[in-house]
Amino acid sequence: MRDVYVAGIGITTFTRLEYPLTEIASYASMMALKDAGLTEVDQIYVANMGSPRVNHQTALASAVADSLSLLPAGAAAIENGPASGAAAIKAGFQAVASGMDDVVLVAGVERMREVNNLEATDFVATLTHPLTEYIYGVTLPSHAAMFARLYMEKYGVTERHLAMVGVKNQNAALNNEWAHLQQEISMEGILDSPEAMTNNPYVAEPLRFFDACPVSDGGAAIILVSKEKAQELGRPMIRLSGIGQATDTHAVFEREEPTDLLAVRKAAEDAYAMSGLSPDDIDVAELHDAFTILEIAESEEVGFFPKGEGHIALEKGETALGGRIPINVGGGLKGRGHPVGATGVAQAWEIVTQLRGDGGKRQVEGARTGLTLNFGGFGNNVVCLTFVRED
Amino acid sequence: MAREIYAYKCRRCGTMHYPMRMVCKECKANDFFEFDPVPLPKTGKLLTFTTVYNLPAQYEVATLGLGIVELENGMRMLGQIEIDDPEIGMAVKGSVEVVRRETYDNYYGMVFTAA
Repeated sequence: MRDVYVAGIGITTFTRLEYPLTEIASYASMMALKDAGLTEVDQIYVANMGSPRVNHQTALASAVADSLSLLPAGAAAIENGPASGAAAIKAGFQAVASGMDDVVLVAGVERMREVNNLEATDFVATLTHPLTEYIYGVTLPSHAAMFARLYMEKYGVTERHLAMVGVKNQNAALNNEWAHLQQEISMEGILDSPEAMTNNPYVAEPLRFFDACPVSDGGAAIILVSKEKAQELGRPMIRLSGIGQATDTHAVFEREEPTDLLAVRKAAEDAYAMSGLSPDDIDVAELHDAFTILEIAESEEVGFFPKGEGHIALEKGETALGGRIPINVGGGLKGRGHPVGATGVAQAWEIVTQLRGDGGKRQVEGARTGLTLNFGGFGNNVVCLTFVRED
Repeated sequence: MAREIYAYKCRRCGTMHYPMRMVCKECKANDFFEFDPVPLPKTGKLLTFTTVYNLPAQYEVATLGLGIVELENGMRMLGQIEIDDPEIGMAVKGSVEVVRRETYDNYYGMVFTAA
């Protein structure tokens, strides 16, 4: 297998975007191509979850190839729920590692605000089990809520811990000009004052409004290349060193221990094994905090903290910028926003930015290794990536 | 006749599946029609629950109760709950009712109340 490097990255502002889907994907891709100094690629993968349903557009990768004048490059779209982004990066890695391609563009894109919130919620809910979950009105917030209740009961996590994740990540987004939410929040405003319950109502008990990521539009892109090509292009040598992907039961209730996220654990173990890293070696991490409880649970399952102790590390500030293992310093899904197909690529964008030392006010000092965790379904399809700065 | 929701029992190894599988998760038996339907029990205890306020399109109610129930045979299922003050571990009983209405179709599922 050949080594694979990241030669370019690009992103759009995550917000409500009044541009066609193809343009959003293409804009992020143009930035990545420009960053790498490339005008041609061998292969394009476009990660997207909802375009046929939400935007009434199919065959997105063909549209992007033509829009960027990259013809006759190969192109394919990858739909893998909220883990589409990292799944597309995995496909790009395989293409370069196998020797089949030297340069692959991976773009992730979603335009969810084209429909109203109820329809967006329903569109994401279609990833649940059709006969035993979806028909009951299950949504992703309700899955996260039932999971959070179990976590609270078993490990002593409280609404305060959840709010702490929300405050940490949403305020981190203030240091990220591309992030969706640009409004500072405080524990007082969302939990501790008489107004808090009005500001921050339940969406699915025990989860509140500020426990959930926003519904966003946006795109992100990265360019994967062979070692020879990376050296030729002369960008910082950042190797995509480990990939793990794992699946779990489609119906969430079937899991033997309902507070375990076994696919997260397995994906991380495989990524560490492939890269020769351990959790202690990671300098900066992007976890999939679509809901605040998930950052706590995932920080345990990827091995940063023992099971049931993620909220204690959070309390001590170990996951904040300047802490032992800073998590979601660019805002995470909570602050940056969660255009589902783009998220896995945006996480890689943030880690590469960090490893290049381009993080500005959110830079993790001296970061040389990073990890991303892209959580699909409600934990039934998870991709973990590790990146290492080599030069 | 009362409506039922079915689990599926592998004819080769006896493993029960809910939801159904095409291939047995235990012995990997993969012949067609390898499973016999067995009605799920209707009593059990509440494992976790939520009240949802932001419902998907189609729902005309303000909130919806959802919960995961461990049934008396140890299997689990998700259902709607109609319980005023739900608590983890409480005994519940279910009946099969309409849980989702669409223009031309009604979908049936388990609705749990306090036992």
